[in-house]
Amino acid sequence: MLSQYAFIGVFAIVAFALPIIGLLMAWLLRPKKPNPAKNSTYECGVETIGDTWVQFKAQYYLYALIFVVFDVEAAFVFPWAVAYNKLGVYALVEMVLFVAILLGGLLYAWRKQALDWH
Amino acid sequence: MDYIRDFFINFAHSWTTWISGGLPGWAVTVVNFLLGGLILVMMPVIATLALTWMERKVIGRIQNRLGPNRVGPWGIFQAIADAVKMLIKEDIIPDRADRPVFNLAPILIFVGAAMLWAVIPFGRRMIGQDLNIGALYVVAIGSITTVAVLMAGWASNNKFALIGAFRVVAQLLSYEIPMVLSIGVVVLVVGSMRMGTIVESQWVPFCLVLPVAFITYVLAAIAETGRAPFDLLEADSEIVAGYFVEYSGLKFGWFYIAEYGNLMAVSAITTTLFLGGWRGPFAGAAPVLGPLYFIIKTVLVIFVLMWIRGTLPRFRIDQMLAFAWKVLVPAALVNLLWVAAALKLPVPQAVQYAVMLVGNLAILGVTLTLLGQSAKQHAKRHGLAGA
Amino acid sequence: MSQTNPAVEKLRAQFEGAIQAESEFRGETTVTLRPQDLVAVARFLRDDPELRFNHLSNLTAVDWSKYPGHAAKERFSTVYQLLSTRSGQRLTLKVPAPSSDSPIVPSLTGLWPGANWPEREVYDLMGVKFDGHPDLRRILLPFNWPNHPLRKEIPRGGETVPFSMTWEDEEFASFGKQIVEAKAVPQVPPKQADANKHMILNMGPHHPATHGVLRVVVELDGERVVAAYPDLGYLHSGFEKQGESIRYKDFTLYTDRADYVSSMCTNLSYSLAVEKLMGVDIPRRAQVIRVIMAELQRLASHLLWLGTSVLDSAGVSHALLMYCFREREQILDILELVSGARLTTTYIRPGGVWRDVPPSFVERVQDVLDAFPKRIDEYERMVTHNPVWKSRTIGIGKLTQAQALAMSVTGPALRATGLAFDYRKTRPYSGYEAYDFEIPTATDGDLFARYLCRVAEMRQSLRIIEQALKNLPDGPVWTADRKMSLPPRQELDTSMEALIHHFKLNTEGFVPPVGEVYECAESPRGETGFYLVSDGTANPYRLHFRTPSFVNLQATDLMARGGFIADLVLIIGSVDITLGDVDR
Repeated sequence: MLSQYAFIGVFAIVAFALPIIGLLMAWLLRPKKPNPAKNSTYECGVETIGDTWVQFKAQYYLYALIFVVFDVEAAFVFPWAVAYNKLGVYALVEMVLFVAILLGGLLYAWRKQALDWH
Repeated sequence: MDYIRDFFINFAHSWTTWISGGLPGWAVTVVNFLLGGLILVMMPVIATLALTWMERKVIGRIQNRLGPNRVGPWGIFQAIADAVKMLIKEDIIPDRADRPVFNLAPILIFVGAAMLWAVIPFGRRMIGQDLNIGALYVVAIGSITTVAVLMAGWASNNKFALIGAFRVVAQLLSYEIPMVLSIGVVVLVVGSMRMGTIVESQWVPFCLVLPVAFITYVLAAIAETGRAPFDLLEADSEIVAGYFVEYSGLKFGWFYIAEYGNLMAVSAITTTLFLGGWRGPFAGAAPVLGPLYFIIKTVLVIFVLMWIRGTLPRFRIDQMLAFAWKVLVPAALVNLLWVAAALKLPVPQAVQYAVMLVGNLAILGVTLTLLGQSAKQHAKRHGLAGA
Repeated sequence: MSQTNPAVEKLRAQFEGAIQAESEFRGETTVTLRPQDLVAVARFLRDDPELRFNHLSNLTAVDWSKYPGHAAKERFSTVYQLLSTRSGQRLTLKVPAPSSDSPIVPSLTGLWPGANWPEREVYDLMGVKFDGHPDLRRILLPFNWPNHPLRKEIPRGGETVPFSMTWEDEEFASFGKQIVEAKAVPQVPPKQADANKHMILNMGPHHPATHGVLRVVVELDGERVVAAYPDLGYLHSGFEKQGESIRYKDFTLYTDRADYVSSMCTNLSYSLAVEKLMGVDIPRRAQVIRVIMAELQRLASHLLWLGTSVLDSAGVSHALLMYCFREREQILDILELVSGARLTTTYIRPGGVWRDVPPSFVERVQDVLDAFPKRIDEYERMVTHNPVWKSRTIGIGKLTQAQALAMSVTGPALRATGLAFDYRKTRPYSGYEAYDFEIPTATDGDLFARYLCRVAEMRQSLRIIEQALKNLPDGPVWTADRKMSLPPRQELDTSMEALIHHFKLNTEGFVPPVGEVYECAESPRGETGFYLVSDGTANPYRLHFRTPSFVNLQATDLMARGGFIADLVLIIGSVDITLGDVDR
């Protein structure tokens, strides 16, 4: 059991190592001739106007918020699904209730037009 | 002959026996882990080399062109030439970028793409590590991509990249739900999250039993890999390249590799979850055929994704998110409940599967009808019904 | 002064003393007005239920300072071509600007918001100010340009350009430094923009979706476009100034380079204008060839539009772009066959067409006619009924008919709003009246309607070509009028006059009479018109080039507001601009 995760650990190290080694290799091989024009921000060839990190529209985050709710639910679905065959009919009833509440939440968000772009 | 029939496993055994002659037990494990890790970590790179060539050829043919045909026979070394170019290309870091984050993002995105391969079964017992939470692991590792992409977009201090990054937040997160739910359905039917077990229990491919889950997964997977028609995060005609517009050289290369690695990985996962993985005629008798079947199925899935890419215009962000939340999520939830109910029926498994299929087809029918109606309404609202 | 035009009669009755002069040349009436009456007269002309000159086709200005016999009068005058989309009648208004140092005339932006950019162009190039203009800035030239180049005292060429790019220049050697310094001029957000709340994003000049070096400064609220400010001039090359110093026939070359994806149509408009000025007739065969070439070019242009438009919405991987290019190639081969060039054809020239078509021409065009209907069906199967394409285009980028007319929009974008306005029908030229074809319209004025219009136009073009090809008469392809055609070879041996004429035509070029004309043709993008002022020499005194891309592009902001970035890209695509045509 533990060795399984040891493998994942070793694998992660290898996975980190490969791009780093690659970048080091590229660092050795590639030319380095920076200049201010080259290093300026790309914006279609003209100087950027105003700040990039402006106060940004909240719409994107609304989806993130709904996501959090549903992702927590997804985390419940997996153990439930694995154990489902060992559980009785109440597991089904329970999940029906659970999903109903979620669907209720989704419908609420839908009604409130949180799912539409403004 | 027996050795050939299960060549890869037998070869691995011989290898382990050979090195354990001169090494202590723990060192054998470490060496094997490192080797296994190295092979799997190379998968995204191999996938990129193979798939860029394939994609160019496929898209080329779709577009009535030849595709690459200069570097090597049929242009097969084109991808290698590109790799060399990326390696020796100057790396430009914008002055206004957030350097540490900017540099970390390509590494992290590659890690996300590579780690997926740990749980993909290429054949019977040919799997990096058959984790007991395999399916959940896939979902969890998949989320690393989101973080890496957001890092890249934010750190570039570029407006196009930032818009791309924000789109990533909305898009990848939204499509993760239907993806997770459709994986959940498979887990529910199998009763295990082990990828190996999921393949073993598919005496009939799940795409024939759970078409809704299959279609939902494929759509979500296209969105998660950011491919057309869901390629909003890097929409070239709108936000140029989105989150990696400021990257060049090998740093761009890692994004590129991660993209194709992810494409291969989601296709492999689709194969595993819905197309019976390495199963196929005579695979039981000759397990060496398993990886072959697996690769054929995976490439078929990839081909379909490329075909879609050559055919469909891109969605708009609002349409795309609405599609996830208003179509895929409800359909996946209803599907989950239906499958759960079907599993509680006191009948043989085959009948249960039939019940699931009927329910799935019904959900599919209802969803498509509703979509068609809403499209008609949309057209009507704009007075184009008869145009 | 003979009096025939009822519009002028009405004007005389309505506005006493407003009309200073009235002239008629080649069937076009020009009315000279006092500046103070311009707005009232224009409003009357626009709103009068009988006249309804509702379309401001062209707006420009002339510097008369070097014009023979004009010494004592006002130096500048602005010129307006009004058109009634219902009757096809045209009326030219001319307004002398009072002062010659800082000339100023009232702005027409209140009546036609579409007068905005043309007036800015006049201000930029000619220095005439417009009273009441909401945003009178330079439009084509950099804001710090030292002069107004279309004024007669400004020489052509030899300007000091604010930067240099020669290898002797030290700065050029350290190229980066130069760019950085050029960039040191701070970029200011557009006046109206709210840079604190919204993101100001430069789309272009180097952007895949702006179809050239167009820069659109977009004000964004998240994904929503608050406003889009197009910034032009990156490709401005002073065609009009150049036109004043070369002969009429030489300018044909420049018309290719303006709208480079439909050069035949631009050639045609220019030729029509010059021929009108000269008053020559074109033989039937040349006219039919012109129609065939113009319609082939329209097909090619619409194909390119279709391909790039889908490219905008789908990315480079979509199959349709290459399909369109395959078909366009077939047409370009024909263009090459007749003219020797694929893009810059210079085939249709004032006086006729360059050479007669080669023998295989008919067969090749017939191939196009045979192949295309099926191909267009194929595109329609790929796109028209594609739900994604529909959802991306239906209801997006709407323009009502009133808005389109107010913005002077012409071409498919206007027809998509339900107005069947096409110069081929409204004011037929080159014998278009003899062909049986329809003007496709749609009612919605959105992207999908424009798409449908263009696809339907491709089918109509095929119809026209088919009829023209069937009835291709024999005969010469160059005008017989000696004003423009060389005497035949055998005459040179016997006639001294013919020899002199031959010599003069070849060395000087043809010389039109004194006068001014405006003539236009329906290019794939809309109204491509030329305003020519002749002072009786072989060079135009003033040459103004009214391009559809420039005028139509103005409506982008109107269409894009409130939409998404993704829509903006499609909207720019649906206007179907060519940057050479916009910036000239």
